Amino acid sequence: MPEQPENRIEKIVDDLLHGRRLRLKAGDAEEKEAIIAAARLAAARSGPHRMSPAFRRRLAGILDAIPREPRLTRRAALVAGLGVAAGALAGGVVGKALAPAAAPYPISASSPVLPRNGRWTDVGALADFGEGQARLVKAGAVGAFVFRRGQTVTAVSSMCSHLPCELWWESGSSLLECPCHPASFTADGKPSSPSYTLPALNEVKVRVTAAGRVEVLGT
Amino acid sequence: MTSDPQSPSDPDSPSEHAGEVVELSSASRATDIALDELELVYAFIYARVGNRADAEDLTQQVAMKAIPRLRQGAPASAIRGYLFATARSVLGAFWSTRLGLSQVELHEDLAMSIPQGPPSDEQAERTRRILAGLSDNYRRVLELRFLHGYSLKEVAAEMRSTVGAVKVMQLRALRAAAKVDPDA
Repeated sequence: MPEQPENRIEKIVDDLLHGRRLRLKAGDAEEKEAIIAAARLAAARSGPHRMSPAFRRRLAGILDAIPREPRLTRRAALVAGLGVAAGALAGGVVGKALAPAAAPYPISASSPVLPRNGRWTDVGALADFGEGQARLVKAGAVGAFVFRRGQTVTAVSSMCSHLPCELWWESGSSLLECPCHPASFTADGKPSSPSYTLPALNEVKVRVTAAGRVEVLGT
Repeated sequence: MTSDPQSPSDPDSPSEHAGEVVELSSASRATDIALDELELVYAFIYARVGNRADAEDLTQQVAMKAIPRLRQGAPASAIRGYLFATARSVLGAFWSTRLGLSQVELHEDLAMSIPQGPPSDEQAERTRRILAGLSDNYRRVLELRFLHGYSLKEVAAEMRSTVGAVKVMQLRALRAAAKVDPDA
């Protein structure tokens, strides 16, 4: 017997008021507005919130480990807090250690992902893919960003061609961004960062069926 | 190590130095500056997820995604904007994943304004306006439960009702609160 919505919401409210995580489950979408309202009210209960000292220390450790440009504009650094770059600078230029060599990679071509015994995996209806937008899909062990342009689709690997990090789609700039270092790629997989010379992303095979379904060649 | 003869702690006239390249002298100070920006992001996220654990996870995601993107020559005005654009993206993904909805279906208010300073009472004021837009009973149950931390039993006793009735009223009050536009 399904849980009554008032009981389900009470559990969520009780978690929030006791400082616990939001533990949502299937069916909670029916009350999404109420849940979001509850989260905001719970946040308002004790006024403005600041990071705990322990979290701030943890974040500082993470920031210091992220490679980035060794030189910054004064304006960028002073005004907006980009000074974290100095961590890499003063700390032995970690970024250089992780940056790829300036090798003449073939940036306009990439070998396709052709899994042995690969099979086509349905990843959704063509109509569900937004025009000009990337959507992350999984076809077994193959992760890919599928792009729709009109009635055609293309796909590239979701893994950065340098570090084994899963990319994310930044819709504002229409680029695939790497969370691990300052690298980004265009929708067709070409590197867009002038400061990093990288191989292009691997192409992933994708097709549209007669029934208007998008299929990706995966495992 | 600092190549700029002026004090790097002079944040008052950034436009005078736009484009001037410097090497920052202190890694710890530089990290502190970045953390101050992320402090705003944390408050922004906390105000929308209502708990520390999720707020910390999401703030960390913002740091991982946004900081490497900030590179030489980025316009100062765009940097905080980029952090908050990333925060909106991370929040949208959080809600859509937790609720199993696409971000289009979610209809969450992700086009939120960017805070211009440290955490303030703005959130409290928005909450006050939301509560003011509710009927007396709905406002009372949410005030007692969320702002005063009453248990359901305590709310029922205060309102001379039953726990079951208060639970239903709480759900309806939250649905109604979601429809109030605090900026209207």
